[in-house]
Amino acid sequence: MLNIKNLEATIDSKHILKGLNLDIKPGEVHAIMGPNGSGKSTLANVLSGKNGYEIKGKIQFNRENINELSTEERAQKGIFLAFQYPLEIPGVNTNIFLKTSLNAIRKAKGEKELDTLTFLKLIKEKANELGIDEKFLSRQLNVGFSGGEKKKNEILQMKLLEPKLSILDETDSGLDIDALRIVADGVNSYKNKNNAFLIITHYQRLLDYIKPDFIHVLSNGKIIKTGDASLGVQLEKTGYIGLG
Amino acid sequence: MQQFYDFKVEKIKNLSSEEKKLRKKNLELFYLNGFPSKKDEDWKFTDLNSILGQNFSNIVNTDLIPEERPYKPITEFEHNFIYLVNGKLISKSFDHEEKDKIFINNFDYKNEIILNRENTLNFLNNALAKDGFSLEVSKNYKFKKPLVIYNQLSNSLKETILNNKNSIILNENSELTLINLVDNASKENFMINTIEEIKLKKNSSLKSILINNSKNNAYFYKYLKNDLEKNSSLENYILLSGLIFNKLDIEINHNEEYSNSYIFSALNLLNNEHQEIKTRVNHNAPNCHSYQKIKNVLNNESKGVYQGKIFVKNIAQKTDAYQLSRALILDDKAEFDAKPELEIYADDVKCSHGSTSGSIDLDSIHYLKSRGIPEKEAYQMLINGFLCEVLEKLNKKNLKKFLLQKLEDQIHGY
Repeated sequence: MLNIKNLEATIDSKHILKGLNLDIKPGEVHAIMGPNGSGKSTLANVLSGKNGYEIKGKIQFNRENINELSTEERAQKGIFLAFQYPLEIPGVNTNIFLKTSLNAIRKAKGEKELDTLTFLKLIKEKANELGIDEKFLSRQLNVGFSGGEKKKNEILQMKLLEPKLSILDETDSGLDIDALRIVADGVNSYKNKNNAFLIITHYQRLLDYIKPDFIHVLSNGKIIKTGDASLGVQLEKTGYIGLG
Repeated sequence: MQQFYDFKVEKIKNLSSEEKKLRKKNLELFYLNGFPSKKDEDWKFTDLNSILGQNFSNIVNTDLIPEERPYKPITEFEHNFIYLVNGKLISKSFDHEEKDKIFINNFDYKNEIILNRENTLNFLNNALAKDGFSLEVSKNYKFKKPLVIYNQLSNSLKETILNNKNSIILNENSELTLINLVDNASKENFMINTIEEIKLKKNSSLKSILINNSKNNAYFYKYLKNDLEKNSSLENYILLSGLIFNKLDIEINHNEEYSNSYIFSALNLLNNEHQEIKTRVNHNAPNCHSYQKIKNVLNNESKGVYQGKIFVKNIAQKTDAYQLSRALILDDKAEFDAKPELEIYADDVKCSHGSTSGSIDLDSIHYLKSRGIPEKEAYQMLINGFLCEVLEKLNKKNLKKFLLQKLEDQIHGY
């Protein structure tokens, strides 16, 4: 599904990713761990198509080269990024945002856009699954939401938009145990053999709930070690320094 | 610069010799200084004289007789209406109200408003004004439905100036929601200079909404003078876009205790447009509250100006006055000028102002785009979110929905 070859990224003349390789197949869950400043969030940003990076190397999504695609085109093709810090957008109603987003993606896929009633029924259902109070949906997008509410809102968007590849950028940071479990349940219930996850995290604790097939250690802009789920447990004990 | 205007009192029919004399006196006062330039503190950022000089070859006052033409009525909510063409009252409908509680007529120029100010456009208005309306609401009468003013401008106004005067009086304990909808069919250049005087008697309440329907090439100047008595309330909502030039000059006088005033303005300026809001809020009595929230979005080569002054008289203790100006500048060539001013002579008051201007938040754009929303739409969503906040206080559900739609139409372009 996702094939990254020799990816390099530079921003403001800082060379951050320095030749990263990664292959993700449908049905797989990959976790990326690594110390602060290793390039984890940059990888998430670059995959989402954020402006400002100078890119070298190849990113293929479902065999298509996506280096030149805009952020919205990538989203329409099925790449979803759950933000580490979801933005507060004053004056934009959450429901209207969600409907606009869903319909933009449906339109790009050649599907019929949903009318308001059908949409509201759908979103209510999805919100209930995640234990999100419906009144959040009529508030301004993320404005005044707690950290946990913002992260739940990201997972709600993921479940609504049904992406092929979901990138979760430190979705576990700032969550208490209950919210962490809700987020993990959300991911697990959406996981199937046709979609894939790239989970960026600092800690093992999220991976106790979402079992990864692969764990990669990112350090200084490169993946320096790849292993199975047990690597996370080991890292928790030894830290990154232990990897030498 | 060559003189680009030629105004004649003689074009106005049926004047008494007394009136003619007074108007000629005012015209002389106008000709003394002509149209305002930056030398005038109230026009600090705008040289109207040269703007008009560049866009007109010879402006004259018109003796044209306004003609009716079809207009598109609002269908979203039930309302009363008056229908104006070029400022002249043509028809009215108060089907939802008790008709004997409402007085509406052509403006009576025998009881002329003479504004006691050094305002050259007011002089010009005094000299040349001929149309307009007077509206008075009886004591204790609360309008059941809003009143819409269909303010239509005809096609044939090229190189002319219209001068109008309106008067609105809300007597004690009365209530009105007024929607002034400017519908300009003309693509020609012309100018409108209006003076509107609003009197709110004790315990009365006015919501006044100003919107426009189309992109146009007219030069608007409107002087609004509001006098507030005890415990009265004024809410102004201004939602305008697509105007080549517009200046609203708003004077609010809190003449008696416990009166409240609000100005909420959301302006979306497109290429080459100029919009300006100047306010002077006079706190002449204690315990009054005034609030101004001015929002501007500036696209391409547009220019926005906000000059806001709060004046607090020495006896006006416990005044609570606030003004906030926020501008979203979308292009390096756009310009926004703000001049907030506080002049306070009382010691127990709460007065503050804030002013910010900045560009759109690109991280927010990225967030919306990452959800599949195309870039143009993402910008429109953020602009809409920025502007629609000014409608927060409006508590009339249907009307709010209608105005939110208007705002969206303005942002998406007519």
